[in-house]
Amino acid sequence: MTVDSPRLRLGIVGVVTLSLFAALFARLWFLQVLNAGEYEVAAERNQQRVIPLPAPRGRILDRNGAILVDNRASNVVTVNRAELNRHSEPERRDVVERLAVVVGRPAAALTGRLDDQRFGPFTPVPVAEDVPEEALIELRERRHEFPGVDADQVAVRSYPHGTLAAHLLGYVGQINAEELEAAPDTYRLDSRVGKDGVERTFEADLAGIDGEVVLEVNAKGVPVRELERRPPVQGKDLVLSIDLEVQRAAEVALASGMAKTQGHKDPVTGAPVTFGGSTVVLDVKEGTVAAMASWPTFNPADFVYQITPDQFAALTDPSQGTPFVNRAVLGQYAPGSTWKLVTALAGLKAGLITPATTIFDPGTYTIPDCAQKCQRQNAGRAAYGDVELRKALTVSSDTYFYDLGARFWQQRQRLGDTPMQDMAALLGFGEKTGVPLPVEAAGRLATPEGRAEAYAANPDLFITGDWFIGDNVNVSIGQGDIAVTPIQLANAYATFASGGTRYQPNLALRVQDQDGTVVREIEPRVDAQVDLPPGAYDPIVDGLLGATRSEEPRGTAFNAFAGFPHDAYPVAGKTGTAQTGGDRKDDALFVAFAPAHDPRHSVSVVMERAGFGSTWAAPVARAILASLSGLEEPPEVKPVSGSSA
Amino acid sequence: MMQTTSAPRGIGAVLRRDPAAPWRHLDWPLLCATFAIAGLGCLMVFSATRVGMADAGLDPYTYLKRQLLFLALGAIVMAAVTAIDYRHFRDLAPLGHLASLALLVLVLTPLGTRVNGAQSWFALGAFKFQPAEFTKLALICVLAAACAPARGHLNRHRLGVCLALVGLPAALILLQPDMGSMLVLVAIFLAVVVVAGARPRELAALAAIGIIAVVALFQLDMVDAYQRDRLTEFARDGRGSVTGAGFQASQAKTAIGAGGLFGAGLYDGTQTKLGFVPEQQTDFIFTVVGEELGFVGSATLLALYAVVAWRVWRAAQVARDLFGTLVCVGVLGMLVFQVFENLGMSMGIMPITGLPLPLLSYGGSSLLTSLAAIGLVLNVHMRRFS
Repeated sequence: MTVDSPRLRLGIVGVVTLSLFAALFARLWFLQVLNAGEYEVAAERNQQRVIPLPAPRGRILDRNGAILVDNRASNVVTVNRAELNRHSEPERRDVVERLAVVVGRPAAALTGRLDDQRFGPFTPVPVAEDVPEEALIELRERRHEFPGVDADQVAVRSYPHGTLAAHLLGYVGQINAEELEAAPDTYRLDSRVGKDGVERTFEADLAGIDGEVVLEVNAKGVPVRELERRPPVQGKDLVLSIDLEVQRAAEVALASGMAKTQGHKDPVTGAPVTFGGSTVVLDVKEGTVAAMASWPTFNPADFVYQITPDQFAALTDPSQGTPFVNRAVLGQYAPGSTWKLVTALAGLKAGLITPATTIFDPGTYTIPDCAQKCQRQNAGRAAYGDVELRKALTVSSDTYFYDLGARFWQQRQRLGDTPMQDMAALLGFGEKTGVPLPVEAAGRLATPEGRAEAYAANPDLFITGDWFIGDNVNVSIGQGDIAVTPIQLANAYATFASGGTRYQPNLALRVQDQDGTVVREIEPRVDAQVDLPPGAYDPIVDGLLGATRSEEPRGTAFNAFAGFPHDAYPVAGKTGTAQTGGDRKDDALFVAFAPAHDPRHSVSVVMERAGFGSTWAAPVARAILASLSGLEEPPEVKPVSGSSA
Repeated sequence: MMQTTSAPRGIGAVLRRDPAAPWRHLDWPLLCATFAIAGLGCLMVFSATRVGMADAGLDPYTYLKRQLLFLALGAIVMAAVTAIDYRHFRDLAPLGHLASLALLVLVLTPLGTRVNGAQSWFALGAFKFQPAEFTKLALICVLAAACAPARGHLNRHRLGVCLALVGLPAALILLQPDMGSMLVLVAIFLAVVVVAGARPRELAALAAIGIIAVVALFQLDMVDAYQRDRLTEFARDGRGSVTGAGFQASQAKTAIGAGGLFGAGLYDGTQTKLGFVPEQQTDFIFTVVGEELGFVGSATLLALYAVVAWRVWRAAQVARDLFGTLVCVGVLGMLVFQVFENLGMSMGIMPITGLPLPLLSYGGSSLLTSLAAIGLVLNVHMRRFS
């Protein structure tokens, strides 16, 4: 080693030192000069927490301002998981167990709620709702024993009238992935949105604008101060066209009528099976829904927080009558004799009949040009003798309409294949009415073309793709492949009653602020102006009036409307008894409009597997019409004798 | 500096000759840079702790007062170390080394206190003392004393002696466990033996042993999982967890980066104030500098450290004898390694080890040790002619 060696080595140490400092300097430059922006953003995110302030939804009112859906404050106990997780596992379990005792819920339920992944790590998770005030006070007093536990008041839906109009109103529930994706700026992962009924179709009006608080928090997630606060804005009130009293009358009448039709058994297992029913009341002049009920029903309050799988299963169980389904718009039924309005209008339009044309009805009918199953008969083989249009409707003579159906087919060269179906389409059958509800069925118009197409698509499924004269005979009295919904029935009769104005029925009149200031009027929607055959209106109304009040010939609903104030409030109605195939019981139907001289409302009632329309559906309709008339206390609904279709 | 005959003289002799003579050669730049850093340290410690203390309902000046007290104490120790001719430390070195070993053993007994998972402290009333800090100084002196007589030819035998001198305290510190302090000892050792004349072949052999030792430590599971996380986190560059070690590393980096060019302003840092950066008044004090004073402040601080390193290196160069040179080199190794490791971990280019930033971090033991070490260098520097 040379003498200079230590000096050289010291130089090496110096160089190493220098390079270490150079490295530090370079890194500092990189972080603070080159990449500063990125870290500034990260730093800002770090220290801000946004706590959403959910906006209360708008209320739902009936046409007179009665509150159908309101909001109420619910005491909700929440847990901040970030804070709770600072504690050891046994401590956490202990906290949850003690909390369970205070709020009076099982500890397992709280634990389950705590695992809910829909909530952000810093968003308090609600674990118990509707907690009594005393429990909140206890939690507040013993705050230090419950780390991360907090109490909050949230606005939840309340239903002052219980199950009233449940199907129509719908309910509010947790947003799903699709809904969130559709409006990511409006909603959060834990938003609650309208799921069904008008809650859903008028979601944009009812949903408020959520507010938020921006908090500065420290690393422990503990708020240090409030940086910004945007208060929530309540949603708008929705004024429905529904009349609370009519709705209640409709539900009471339907429920008591349906209750008396029960006792069905599953043909295979013998287990009890529930069949349902529904009714629709339309305002003929306004083009709105005045009442709509479906039985069996459900309680929308069950959906306020979280419905249990068991509850949901019961609501969708067919043997319990699928209470969840709104039969008024989703039920599809053969219309039976209520269809005779269509056949009559088609016959008048085609010139096959005039109101005075008489047909002899011996009680049975033999289909001409027919190969097999050619005998038809009136209900109970009743022989009505000479029958013209009025009487045919009043007594519901099948033979009269069979004859029309057969003649339509015989003259199809001139009249086309589907004069009845065409008339039905004009009255709105075969397509959705457009009532503002999330789902609606279109019904079905059986046509020769449709059958041929169905057969061509699926030859194994059908016996034949051909259409025979017998099919036309079936269609003439609303059987065969015809399917209609209760709202279509009411709307078709409303269209006729108004002289041809077909509306897309509205459910709401306007959107308004809480103080009543109108935000938006909802205009009537005229779907079509139908040209009724000239001279058809009066005789048909006469025939239908007879059905409820003619003693001789005996109207099919005469018994059901016995004692009704016919003079002050004349009801034009039609019974229907639709075969459902095999030896199953018939569906009972009744459709009416009133007052007949200046129609204001139309009513349809459909009761599955109840029997005769005159026995079962007409009394329900009468109770509803009594309420509409305001002249009669709605009578107790009970089946009436008189076996006519 | 190649003086090899420097007879020890008593304090009395020095005083008799000309007590003021060496002081005329005092290294003012080193002194100024040192106290500039320490003064800034007080300010930063205050900034880092005032909000948290006030929130806790405590005196926000608590940390500032204590750090100022440490600084005053440190100045006295530094003056004392400077006043005593450094050549006396050569004779006292073996004794000091033994004393430090004794303390390291004692701290592992129930007399010591466990803080943050390491049995590294003696609690003396309201104050705590970390013997490992004293060990660093004792090791510098004893290594310098052991190597100086070799006159720049460190043979295998003497290197072995040095290895033993560093190995024993390093092993004791590893038992605490305090990986950071142990590595400082290794840095001191390497700096001293390199300059003292260890042969490249033997240095290479040492390096190999070092690597084998590290691998063995990991393989034999002698490193706790959390330590392994901390050590390897920087290599994952924030792609690791957002909790634990990854959290520390990424939050520290975020705070420094957020400072930008000019910083958020003194007391106005949010990351450090709101507790996003852990250990901010001690190990992660640089994040406060970075966030509040920005690149300008951080670079200035770095420059001050560079001045200190340069003056220490210069003292090593101009020292009157090899012992003085090696003492300075040891101090250089200690300071530079700690500065590099601490700033490096704060900026995410070095693994996280629990090392304070010399002169700046809160803590009496660390501040006193750093000031005493600077005192040693001042001592050597000003006596370069006597």
